[in-house]
Amino acid sequence: MKHWPILIRRELWEHRALWIAPLVVSAVIVLVSSLVGHTNVGYENPVFSGNIFEMVIVTISVPLYVTAGILVITYFLDCLYADRRDRSVLFWKSLPVSDTTTVLVKFTVGLVLLPLATYVLAAVTGLLVEVISQARFTASVTQAVPPPWVLSEWLRVQGVLLYGLVAALLWYAPYAAYLMLISAWARRSVYAWAFIPPVLIALLEHLLLGTNFFGGVVTRGFGEIMRLAFNLGHEINISIGSVFGQGQHPGPGGPGSSRMALDHPPDPSVLLHSPPLWFGLLATVLMLWVAIRLRRYRDES
Amino acid sequence: MSTIIEASGLTKRYGSVRALDDLSFHIEAGRIVGLIGRNGAGKTTALKAILGLTPYGGQLSVLGHNPAAERDALMRDVCFIADTAVLPRWLRVDCAIDFVAGVHPRFDRARAAEFLKRTSIRMKSRIGELSKGMVTQLHLALILAIDAQLLVLDEPTLGLDLLYRREFYDTLLNDYFDKERTILLSTHQVEEVENLLTDVMFIDQGKLVLDSPVEALPGRFATLKVAPEQLAAARALGPFYEHESFGRPILYFENIAPALLEDLGLVSSPGIADLFVAKMQGVAS
Repeated sequence: MKHWPILIRRELWEHRALWIAPLVVSAVIVLVSSLVGHTNVGYENPVFSGNIFEMVIVTISVPLYVTAGILVITYFLDCLYADRRDRSVLFWKSLPVSDTTTVLVKFTVGLVLLPLATYVLAAVTGLLVEVISQARFTASVTQAVPPPWVLSEWLRVQGVLLYGLVAALLWYAPYAAYLMLISAWARRSVYAWAFIPPVLIALLEHLLLGTNFFGGVVTRGFGEIMRLAFNLGHEINISIGSVFGQGQHPGPGGPGSSRMALDHPPDPSVLLHSPPLWFGLLATVLMLWVAIRLRRYRDES
Repeated sequence: MSTIIEASGLTKRYGSVRALDDLSFHIEAGRIVGLIGRNGAGKTTALKAILGLTPYGGQLSVLGHNPAAERDALMRDVCFIADTAVLPRWLRVDCAIDFVAGVHPRFDRARAAEFLKRTSIRMKSRIGELSKGMVTQLHLALILAIDAQLLVLDEPTLGLDLLYRREFYDTLLNDYFDKERTILLSTHQVEEVENLLTDVMFIDQGKLVLDSPVEALPGRFATLKVAPEQLAAARALGPFYEHESFGRPILYFENIAPALLEDLGLVSSPGIADLFVAKMQGVAS
């Protein structure tokens, strides 16, 4: 593990977008909300204000997580492929760093460090927006100091978001490993190799057998992990749209449905007893093992 | 003297092509060995096997390690430059130094910086902004600052101009090589390394055609510049190669008593480049 810090720095040197893009998005959010945003909470009615407060926090983090998602996909597809394409893999391999370490560092950067950094950045961005908004609000209205529940509510929402994030990372780990496997294997066109075969297999299965088993396995959704992570039961069908989207555009049901996950206390018992989670983690280990073998033994000439 | 590399029955196939065909050799410490062959002769494959970069058949031991199974441990004592300009273009010079310093226990940062001071490479430059010659200088600076027992170079000066090539080998000899270290380098530009090597290995179609210390070559090989009237007599002694220079036939002999040749013409020792051509053409004919 002693080489990990420098190996992680190396990833950030190569993939500068990993830290530049989220900072730019964060800066834009703060700038836009300070210019046009009107998110003051009011604080008079803790229940209603709390709803809006949560929505603001979640809404602000959406662009950051979407950015991080795009960055992670491009990062994973690039991370074991780019240095084979420009042959610099021969330089990296001339140094005493094992291929296992190389692959595991890249996996950790994409699946753990970047999402956690995004989480911290989203929290800081949310705070900045609130502080700026509060300053504007204070200038025009009488109540100056946020009541104590604001802080405890903020901490609670951050805690729930962090738990949801960790659950999602465990859930999506096999996707990360799959992208790394393609990155280690493909000689060219990593994007085509990563996305076309799964789509074709799902299409063929649907056309030939009339079933959607493969498609169902590979597109296991965000809703499912949130339902498992927060023990929401099967009658509630939440998706990315219903968790985050309605915060921006409250539907007929009001913001209540969007706060379904946020209001539930984290309950990992269902998630930890979910076979799909463990199958996914097993598949992750297997695909990482193959990626390491490919990295180690593939002849790059 | 300790053995650095020991190969026995080293074999590698790409489909039906035998890139390495039952190679056996050993390399002692403190030697500068030239692995010389034409393009596609198997040089790079042999070096890759030694570095544990490609699977192979047969027995191979490098510094006591099995490269196929113990590559990570091996890389602490072995350095290699696999090709010119394989340093990543996005990396900055100072970051390259930071990285090698961070992962290599035997890297001497001051030594690398000192070497770079003699060049026009700036610390804040990206490698993509450097010329090919400068990239090679940087790579050499990184490698020279590592206290390794074995340095493997695969066509290290390919595509460089004469000044950079000359400087590369001068630096290698003056700043790197000592009796503790071993250098194995492959090239098809024989003239460049002729005066550098202590041992030569000629490889052709995956087979070793010659494996000899340089100092043993004059005793083993002789050329005879022969007058036309003596040509038939000279040919009867069994030269392995023959060519003409300025209208005079030159015959190449191996393991022959000089006294047998002296009456037939002018006897001399072939240089490594001439010997390489003779061996390759001799094999071909």
